[in-house]
Amino acid sequence: MKPLLLPNRLKNIGWILLLPSFVVGLVFILFENKFPNTKINVFGFFGDAILSSKLEQQFRVSSVDLIPNLIGICFLVGGILVMFSKEKKEDEFINQLRLNTLQWSVFINYSLLLFCFLLVHGLAFLNVMVYNMFTIIVIYILRFQYLFYNHSIVKNEQ
Amino acid sequence: MNNKIKVERAIHNLTQEQLADLVSVTRQTINAIELKKFVPSTVLALKICRVFNKSVDEVFSLESNE
Repeated sequence: MKPLLLPNRLKNIGWILLLPSFVVGLVFILFENKFPNTKINVFGFFGDAILSSKLEQQFRVSSVDLIPNLIGICFLVGGILVMFSKEKKEDEFINQLRLNTLQWSVFINYSLLLFCFLLVHGLAFLNVMVYNMFTIIVIYILRFQYLFYNHSIVKNEQ
Repeated sequence: MNNKIKVERAIHNLTQEQLADLVSVTRQTINAIELKKFVPSTVLALKICRVFNKSVDEVFSLESNE
């Protein structure tokens, strides 16, 4: 069964989106107050209660902050492209590496989340949920790159 | 699973890179098989054996606990 993967050329586009959005995202977290106000009106779901009787009123045009949304979108698109683009030469060992790394990252992700469930409470947990949206991507990419290059640098035996 | 790929490569005077090209995989894959970090698929095992002109059980063998 062939894995569902994107063409290799998309990997570079992924890195171009991922790395700047990662850096800008970190800066945004640290210096949120110094960023300019970039509120724009967008159409979307703004419901406070999904089971409200006035569901149609929750789909409306409302004001959102552009910068964090843009950072999140670039990070997710870049991350998905890096994760699921083919390597230059793809084979069954790389596929197994992908599967192992994915299992590993999901396991670590939910272990961290479980840890946070036990230790982080109240509004601070909202921050945990925000970061948790990105941890599978971050852990996967770090682990896969480490394993891939670790196998690459082994000296060729004659 | 044990294998004699390294020995067979030496006999046929092939590098990991050359063997990898002959069976259309990466050098990392050959390296991982030799180090017993990866068990190849049946198709890849047969391709490797075809390069060495050997049967599968001459190149690959089960370990005692398998």
